[in-house]
Formats: sequence, C-alpha cells, structure tokens
Amino acid sequence: MKRFDCLRLLAPMVDPYMLTVTSLSSNTAFWSDLRREGANFFGCNMGLCIPFALGLTVAFPKRKVIALDSDGSLMVDSSSLITVADVNPPNFVAIVMDNGSYARMGSTFTTRKTDLEKIAQGAGIANTATVRSEEALSAAVEHALATSGPHFIVAKVEPDRVRVKGDPHRTYGRFMRECFVDAVRRHPDYQSGKKNA
Amino acid sequence: MLAVTSLSTNAPFWFNVRPQGPNFFALNMGLCLPFALGLSVAFPKRKVIAIDSDGSLMNDSSSLITVADVNPANLVAFVMDNGSYAFMSSTFTTRKTDLAKMAQGAGIANASTVKTLEEFSAAAKQAMESAGPTLIVAKVERDAGRVSADRSRTSGRPMREWFMDAVRRHPDYQGGR
Amino acid sequence: MDKQSVQVIIETLKEEGIDLAVTLPEEPTFSLTEAMREDPFFQAVTVAGEGNGLAFCAGAALGGRRVVFVTGIAGLLVGTWALSQMGMVYGAPILILASYRGDFGDHSGIPGSQLLMFKQVAEPLLGALRVPYRIVNQKATLKRMIQEGSFACQDYSHPIVLLLSGEVLW
Repeated sequence: MKRFDCLRLLAPMVDPYMLTVTSLSSNTAFWSDLRREGANFFGCNMGLCIPFALGLTVAFPKRKVIALDSDGSLMVDSSSLITVADVNPPNFVAIVMDNGSYARMGSTFTTRKTDLEKIAQGAGIANTATVRSEEALSAAVEHALATSGPHFIVAKVEPDRVRVKGDPHRTYGRFMRECFVDAVRRHPDYQSGKKNA
Repeated sequence: MLAVTSLSTNAPFWFNVRPQGPNFFALNMGLCLPFALGLSVAFPKRKVIAIDSDGSLMNDSSSLITVADVNPANLVAFVMDNGSYAFMSSTFTTRKTDLAKMAQGAGIANASTVKTLEEFSAAAKQAMESAGPTLIVAKVERDAGRVSADRSRTSGRPMREWFMDAVRRHPDYQGGR
Repeated sequence: MDKQSVQVIIETLKEEGIDLAVTLPEEPTFSLTEAMREDPFFQAVTVAGEGNGLAFCAGAALGGRRVVFVTGIAGLLVGTWALSQMGMVYGAPILILASYRGDFGDHSGIPGSQLLMFKQVAEPLLGALRVPYRIVNQKATLKRMIQEGSFACQDYSHPIVLLLSGEVLW
C-alpha cells in the first residue's frame, strides 16, 4: 500500500469537527494537503504524536481524535500506549503508518521482529488491527470512527521513494500552532476558561 | 554471572542475597533493562540478569524492542510486578497492562508471566540453562514496609566503584586498566 | 557528511579500539552509521529510543566495551534523563558523536524555528548535565579531535560529546 493512498482514503471519512495530529514524517506533508480545514496539529516529533493526541481526547471528549503516527516515532516511546489504555478514551483512534524504516534511511528494527499491534494489545488496548490492503484499512477506519475506542490500527505501507515537503509555515512551528489554536477556539465544543462549578 | 537491579526493594533484597560479584544496584526508572543489555554485549559468554520492576519497565518499554533486536542469548530479565509504584498508587489504574505480551510484541519470543513460587522457580531455572533473551514477569504482592541496605554498597557512585572493582577482576573483562 | 569525513572518523574509531557502534539513525549522520553497519569491525546496534540507547551504551562501557553513540541534538534531548544518570551519577565512558543541528551552516531544510531551538538548547543542555564537549567543524583537526575526545572519555570515565558541524557535517 502507498502511504499517500491510505491518507487520501482517510480524508473524506473525517468530518470537520474531528481533530487530527500527525507525526514527523511524510504523514505531515500529505495530510496537510488532504485536509485543509479543522483542527490539525502537524509534525509532532518522535514519540510525541500519540500522547499529544491523547491529551486532545480529554479536551474534546465528544469528538474523534485521530493520531496519524509512524512506526519509528511510536517505537521511541511505546510506553504512551500504556497511558492510552489507562485513560481509555472512547474517542481515540491511532493509525500508525508502518513502512518499516526511518524516512528513507535504515530499517526501524534490523531483524524485523516488532509487532506494533501486539505491543498495543499488551499495553491494554483491546481494539486493534493490522491492515495490508486499502479495503481492510477502509473497513477498519470506518469501524473505528463509528464505535467506541480506543482504537489502534497499523497500516503496512511501502517506504516513500521521494522526499515530500509540506508548506513549512502551515505545517511546522509557531504558525502551525497558531492555526491549530485558532481552529480549536472556533470549535463548537471548545471549553477553555469555564471552570467546573 | 552479572546482575543489575532497578530502584525498589529489588536492590536491598538482592544485596542481601548476593552481596559479592558484579552487581549494579538501583538503576533509576527505565534504565535497568537497557543497562543490563549493554552488559550482555560486554560479557557475551556470561549470563546477565536484570531484576527490574513494573513501573520502571513501563517508563521505557521501548527497551524491549532494542533487546529483541540485539537478541542476546545471555540475557535474562525478571520483572517484579507488584502493580504499583513503591507504596504509592498503582502503576496502571485499570490493571490492563500485560508486560509479557508487550515483550512478545517487541519480538522477545521467550516471555512469560508467573504467579507462584513453583512457576517462578521452574521458569528461572529454564532461563538460566537455555539461550535467551528471556523475560519473566513475576506477579508479587506489595512489600509490607521499607527495606534498606547499606547505601554505600547499593546506590550511586560508591556502588559503581564496588561494581567496577568486581568487573575489572572478572576473567572475561576486556576493558583497559 | 562526505565520504572523506566518514572515512577519517571510522579509521580513527578503529585505531581507538572502539568496536561497538550504537545509533538511532538520523539524516545528517546516516552515511556514517550506514558505513559502520556495513563494516565487519563494528558490532552495530540500532536502538528503538535514545534513552534506552544511552543506558545500553553505559552498561556496555562500564562492562569494558569501547562504545560510540551516534546521534543528534534531538537524540540528546530525548536521552537527557539517561545521560544525566549515566554521566553525573555513574561516570560511564561513552563517546558520543552528535550532529549539531541548527549550528550555523545547517542548510538541511528543516524549519528554522526547530533549528533555532536546537542551537539555543544544545550547549546549555550539555553544560547543565556537566558533559564535557567540543565543537568539531574542521576537517583538518577531525582526526585529532576524535583521538582527544576518546582519550578524555576513558581518562575521565565520563560521557564526552563531540558536536559535529561545519565542513565536517555538511
């Protein structure tokens, strides 16, 4: 499967009020092209995508939050999966694009024994899947968006052959953060400043 | 045989059981297993045992992936799992984490959970007599009280000097001086 | 990093008896770590995270292996906890070659705000952790810098960082 095709398949399934987070990888460039509206946090560095998305689930408990992570990133901090299982948010969906490598560099694990889905199960996440075809991905995502989670999906994709760069202003750093916060503030469910009575 | 312990009562208990020989005591959260892995590539012909705890391993569970990748035959990791952080709250409030399964997912084939002393004894014996890497999660009760041992032997810089002394005198030691 | 620098580094590491090469691959040093992986002299280990990677290096180093950890500023940030323990508390002799992302001359194309962060944080971080370091940015002194760094590493029994930059890295 090609990563871009997977993301392109995902884009129309995501409604304007869902929140998304991408990892540092071509997930960022591709997704920023495919999803132009809504609250998107782009380019979370290694190991930070899933925990950041988890945080968003407790800020927006009634909306699906989708983490678009990658294998190398998740492997830097797989302990985040334990935290996900413990918080147990029904609105959390993680899709890990697994191309078995770090960008266009070496493989993430030289003997290829890591099974990310099994690690997630061990961490305590019950709803998991590994998909190798677009049909399977489509079905798994549809299920994840329609039912209570947390959901964890590993999508086996081929390594990208060319480097893709997104618009650096929209997908990185302070301006990305401002766009994200702006979208969040305009979200109908935004709660900030309201103390619990 | 070389041994490495995490923080927690693993350190004073192990010191009372095996005070001599190369022991590295009381590594902080997340550091016990990878440090033991490093020792296993320094002493490839000797068994290296890690005596870790659930909270520590959960802090950096990615070390399991690195262990599977290096795949050292001489590494045996024990995880004393009392489901909590010392005398404080539980390590995972809904108790869903299965560390042996995470280890298998990481690629460590010989990973199991034991609940009784008999099971533990059998698993440990097997691990010490066969090729690893092996991971054994031992479900234990919380300790009833604090235990301490001589701090100068089981913690920090002084402990490190005792360890280095034992290591330098080890017949397989490859380092200088 | 060009072939010449890769060759000088590998040759010097071999002369220093450093035969355990540990990394989590990153772009600026990828040609170096790949060359080390393909060279039968080195036992090459790819770690899953820099934190457990540095702890691994410490176990091997105190156990008597001569080890080099190849990373970048980001890796040092991820491994800060492990580095503080393995350095300040245990004095493990780990030679660390770290690409100085964000130092002047980094045209690699990652966003400027990230590069600025690396530049601002790198040296104060190493200072805070009391890790002796040097900036290695000239081909003419590359060999000697590695020799001196390696010697200091063993002599002090402490992690040492060589920050690779300038014509050595780019």
